[in-house]
Amino acid sequence: MIEFAGFQMPIWYKGIIPEHMAVRTRVGIFDITHMGRALITGAKSEAFLNHVTTNDVSILTPLSAQYSTMCNENGGVKDDLILSRLEQEKFLMVYNAANREKDYQWLVQNAKAFDVKVEDASDTIAMFAVQGPNAQPTLQKIADADQSKIERFKCGWTKLAGVDSFVSRTGYTGEDGFEVFVLNTPLSKPENAVKVWNAILKAGEEFGIEPCGLGARDTLRLEAGMCLYGNDIDETTTPLEAGLDFVVKLKKEAFIGKDALTKQKAEGIKRKRVGLKMLEKGIPRPKQEVWKDSAQKIGLVTSGTFSPLLEHGIAMAYVSIEHALEGEKVMVKVRGKPLKIEIVKFPFYDSTKYGHTRQK
Amino acid sequence: MRVLDYEIPDKLYYSREHEWVRLKGREAIVGITDYAQKQLHEIVYVEVQQEGSEVKQFQTMGTVESVKSVSDIFSPVTGKITKVNTELTDNPELLNQDPYGKGWLAKINLTDFKKDMEKLLSAKQYADYIKTIE
Repeated sequence: MIEFAGFQMPIWYKGIIPEHMAVRTRVGIFDITHMGRALITGAKSEAFLNHVTTNDVSILTPLSAQYSTMCNENGGVKDDLILSRLEQEKFLMVYNAANREKDYQWLVQNAKAFDVKVEDASDTIAMFAVQGPNAQPTLQKIADADQSKIERFKCGWTKLAGVDSFVSRTGYTGEDGFEVFVLNTPLSKPENAVKVWNAILKAGEEFGIEPCGLGARDTLRLEAGMCLYGNDIDETTTPLEAGLDFVVKLKKEAFIGKDALTKQKAEGIKRKRVGLKMLEKGIPRPKQEVWKDSAQKIGLVTSGTFSPLLEHGIAMAYVSIEHALEGEKVMVKVRGKPLKIEIVKFPFYDSTKYGHTRQK
Repeated sequence: MRVLDYEIPDKLYYSREHEWVRLKGREAIVGITDYAQKQLHEIVYVEVQQEGSEVKQFQTMGTVESVKSVSDIFSPVTGKITKVNTELTDNPELLNQDPYGKGWLAKINLTDFKKDMEKLLSAKQYADYIKTIE
């Protein structure tokens, strides 16, 4: 157990590797109640969210979700998030646990100019992620609505083990799966959350479900090429540098950070987040330097781990743009020793064999 | 003996950095303790200095890396490495499965074990030490 954003959380239950492999090949469940959640309601909620986030909220139909970022005026990432449209005038935003206070304050402060209500729902909704190729059949066993009808980045209302819940077909592992919101579960009254958690574990038994901790959550998202706030993105990096262009809609009307991002887009980014695959033994770790050759330092590792699926070291790093080329062989200094590493595309795994795009 | 959740074989010597020493005449077999492997968890790489290298007591003789972290291995004795457990290259999990047996790290030709011994712990002393840090 470790303390994470003020919560006592397990790094693993059985072990990072078996939990990781359960999600890649079967199904796993994560308790992610620690994440921040806010409800935004009101006639102007779409306009408000278009102002504070970088993605285009107007394309979100009710019961759809999108990945997005919130930026500061300089285009630096305040946080990355998932925004779900519950109803025409009601949205649910899920953001990082470490940024709960900061994001909520940012939303409240920027909401003043709009006719909207921002409500912190972090401590009243419990949240689990059920991830892996058998996530859908697992969840279906305890759901009263047809979960197979929910496409990726779509949502739905359902009872799970008799408890009112909201689900979205999203996740942080690269796999197919759901994020489950157990409604009306204040911290002081967690019984419904416990009931749903136990019911999912029981339903997943026949598929070999494993409860998964923060360790596997990190190795899974890294293999999938997804950013971890605080490591791979923060207020000093822009979504363009992070390769998150697909959530930055510069054609939108004014939004916070638009001017800076428009300028950066026109001038061209100077560094970019890339994937790195170790070509020899050793595991790259955050803050290690990336070198082109012994004379030229080109970047810095922001996340690194051993990939349980691929069985070698993998990393993310920001490297200067002229070197951010797939197939480029560079070096990473692991405790002072230069080791060979190659720039590769995300995800790290073969997406025809693993992840939500796998061919069945 | 077993202390808390950790196996601590009686006839070995221990260091406070959680390495063990098994004496075989003028030679010592060294490894990491059950406590160390449980703290590291899921070891994926082990690297020990080459055969023929001179190592000094409590100085780095290699590294052991798990999914989440990396740690130095400090030699519990002074001497020359005569053999490295190459099995660990392909099967680093042996360190987790059998830290005092198949997970041994290296054989070291001892320079002056009497001197080394002054700074090592008996199983009983190591057990007491574990209790203070757990």
